[in-house]
Amino acid sequence: MGPGFDLYTAGTSWLHRLDPRTKMTFVGASFVLLLLTGQIILVLAYLVVVHAVLRRAGIPWRRIGWLWARMWPLTLLILILWPLSNPGGEPVLVQWWWIRITLPGIGQGLLAGLRVNGLAFAVYVLLLTTDQSGLVQGLVGIGLPFEWGLALAIGLRYLPLLLGMYGTITDAQRARGWTPEEEGLVRRARAYGPTLVALVIGALRLTDGLTLALAARGFRPGQPRTTRRPLQLRWADRVCLAGIGVLTLALVAAEWIYL
Amino acid sequence: MAECAIELEKCSYTYDGQVRALRNVSCTIEAGSWVALVGQNGSGKSTLAKLCNGLLRPQEGRVRINGADIRDRPVGSVAREVGYLFQNPDHQIFAPTVREEIAFGLRNLGFPGEEREQRLRSTLEAFDLTAYADRPPAVLGFGLRRQVTVASLFACGSPILILDEATQGLDWQRSQGLLDRLQERQDVGHTILFITHDMRLVAERANRVMVLHQGELLAEGPVRKILSRPHLLARASVSPPPVTHLSQLLRPWGMKGDSLTVEDFYLEYVALLAEREGV
Amino acid sequence: MAPFVVLDDVHVSYPSPGPGLEAPRILRGVSLSVAEGECLALLGPTGAGKSTLCLCLNGLIPHLVDGTFRGGVHIAGHSTREWTPGELSQTVGLVFQDAESQFVSMTVEDEVAFGLESLGLPPDEIEGRLAEALEVMEVGGLRSRSPLELSGGQKQRVALAAVMAMRPRVLVLDEPTTNLDPVGKAALLRAVSRLRVAWGTTIVWVTQDVDWVPHLADRVAVLWEGQIALEGGLREVFDQGALLRRMGLRVPQVRELAARFGSTGLGGYAWLGVDEAAEALRGRLGG
Ligand SMILES: Nc1ncnc2c1ncn2[C@@H]1O[C@H](COP(=O)(O)OP(=O)(O)OP(=O)(O)O)[C@@H](O)[C@H]1O
Ligand SMILES: Nc1ncnc2c1ncn2[C@@H]1O[C@H](COP(=O)(O)OP(=O)(O)OP(=O)(O)O)[C@@H](O)[C@H]1O
Ligand SMILES: [Mg+2]
Ligand SMILES: [Mg+2]
Repeated sequence: MGPGFDLYTAGTSWLHRLDPRTKMTFVGASFVLLLLTGQIILVLAYLVVVHAVLRRAGIPWRRIGWLWARMWPLTLLILILWPLSNPGGEPVLVQWWWIRITLPGIGQGLLAGLRVNGLAFAVYVLLLTTDQSGLVQGLVGIGLPFEWGLALAIGLRYLPLLLGMYGTITDAQRARGWTPEEEGLVRRARAYGPTLVALVIGALRLTDGLTLALAARGFRPGQPRTTRRPLQLRWADRVCLAGIGVLTLALVAAEWIYL
Repeated sequence: MAECAIELEKCSYTYDGQVRALRNVSCTIEAGSWVALVGQNGSGKSTLAKLCNGLLRPQEGRVRINGADIRDRPVGSVAREVGYLFQNPDHQIFAPTVREEIAFGLRNLGFPGEEREQRLRSTLEAFDLTAYADRPPAVLGFGLRRQVTVASLFACGSPILILDEATQGLDWQRSQGLLDRLQERQDVGHTILFITHDMRLVAERANRVMVLHQGELLAEGPVRKILSRPHLLARASVSPPPVTHLSQLLRPWGMKGDSLTVEDFYLEYVALLAEREGV
Repeated sequence: MAPFVVLDDVHVSYPSPGPGLEAPRILRGVSLSVAEGECLALLGPTGAGKSTLCLCLNGLIPHLVDGTFRGGVHIAGHSTREWTPGELSQTVGLVFQDAESQFVSMTVEDEVAFGLESLGLPPDEIEGRLAEALEVMEVGGLRSRSPLELSGGQKQRVALAAVMAMRPRVLVLDEPTTNLDPVGKAALLRAVSRLRVAWGTTIVWVTQDVDWVPHLADRVAVLWEGQIALEGGLREVFDQGALLRRMGLRVPQVRELAARFGSTGLGGYAWLGVDEAAEALRGRLGG
């Protein structure tokens, strides 16, 4: 089995109990900050804080490590490509044929790489600690119609579901004598053909099946529903919201002044 | 001494570091035997099955197939010896047509073109699937999808078969057909581990029974011995088939309480009756 | 009692599997009615169209599944064409044959609550029914687990709990016991009969587990070659052992035993349950 069908990590920590809207505000504020700032140190600090927060909320290192492992290829790509495609500034570190790498280029690449991870972890804070129904309600709470909220929540769930499906399919193939481990690189790549076909078919079926499943459970588009746990902004939420607000304003102002 | 097809030595398995599915299970399954594995929902049957072909690796303990530890072997290579039928057919089916689904295993196990075609054709026929050969499995009903998964397993001819709820969704006739095929395999010395909740099939077909309870092996023994112990079975949320139950109800009147089949019961009862009336 | 579920000459075909191939005609004139509060066991060989019939009952056919549909299905006097499947599903609860394909949520408790939220119930009633349903199906300990990461039988239990909690007026169970352990099967049947007593629920129950049929069903119908080939009381239908066997089906094991006694002239029994058989056989041994 893969690493689970869902990012959500069950728990009862304070972070789990925060109103999803509070966490969504946090995501929004994080995006503003991360996209605005040009300070590597600030992005680094942000990541450190977020990790501390996740740990405090009882998210195991294993889970966090798994997320980093997913982000690693993209990060690496950015770290390599960014300096190559932004060869402006001084000092020049490498100059060879058309390749030109500068220190500011590397700095920018580092910033972009960290920033992508910062953005991802902002979203992870929400997804790791909010279950699907909380997510839907949160989205409805910030003004989306229920169907949209549901669609979005299901959409967010889709990726982990596909990962799970990938695990299921390769298990089925290996159980019938498929040994990609023993193949050379080229043949191994070809061996994954049937896996991909199955994944695409599976993804389509997933969508079809979901329509039936929702209808069979009395879901009617556009009709009102109740919820098991209505949202409420509690005291802790208010404190967090105030904190997020003040911090964001302060940091934005600081950026402004030092710019 | 008969050879060991499957041997588990002190195996434990825990999902995601949280759900303990198997605890310290040791068991041996002799080559050429038909062993039924029964037990409560969630008792660890499917987990045990997946340990035996390497899809899951025990956190503790060893798994030996035909005497050799499979720890360092990829699943695909273990599959040459162990065929595994998934509990949910939809977890097993992935190919766009029935034909390709069955051919996949044959290709991997290295059957040459000619023989592959031959096996494919005879398997389709044996399982009544010729008419569906070019259909996408997804549009078949549940029972037919089950049939497809069974067929693709049989085609490969692995000498150890592990079947998880093989007859679910199949009508009586198709179940019997499948069991007859299995019987033929046992007759040529293949080993069968049969996971099921249908105690009637256990009574009629298996040689031995293993009972799992909350991840531990509660009992193991010949079918007749295990099925005639209602308290033991009840602990594992299992109940014997109706005739066995009936013969137990009639114990005070002289029945032995271990009938496995209708014929079994009938013969014993008639003998008893003759004895009574003879007196 | 008045018929509550009525199928009137229902025809269903699925889309043709390929160019030049005939569209498979699955149901070819099915007429059937189930009274309010009655439990009908629906038998039939693999591929007979039992699941297709179930989809007709809660309106997924013709509303959401591809294919052609002819004839009429009426629930409480209304044609299924008049309702949307979402509306209809609040009256007709279907437990899918493949439990996994029914799941829409990421935790067991949300899964069970989803249908209740669709019904528009207030939060405390949802909590109450949720707890009850989980307890009845003995999956209370799995509340915060993902329904996709359970054992086969646990999945089936959650799927059943999710629909039973909605207390639909018609409960359609498509082979609900296949993955349940024997004690779980008995528990399910007890739970369903409690629903019947409390709410007068009408039940359509597709199954291959014939030994359990006498525990709950009032009547049996057999779907074969696209039509209802046999229909009636339990004894009436299970008396046709030879015919059923030709259709690929079996009868309860004690009924088989009764027939074995009959075959040698040792008695004309027609037992359906173990207790009934024990009674008779004990008598002969003199006790
Ligand atoms: N993918 C999974 N992730 C986490 N836990 C799992 C997973 N699969 C099974 N489990 C848990 O492991 C335990 C054993 O499950 P297993 O599937 O082996 O049971 P089983 O005996 O096959 O039951 P059933 O008769 O219901 O099929 C159960 O408690 C189950 O909830
Ligand atoms: N979506 C579909 N498209 C095309 N054909 C289908 C589709 N679903 C089912 N069928 C076919 O219709 C027939 C009846 O299927 P159905 O699932 O209703 O039978 P069933 O009696 O429930 O069988 P089972 O015992 O296997 O569950 C089968 O032969 C199946 O192949
Ligand atoms: Mg299982
Ligand atoms: Mg079906």
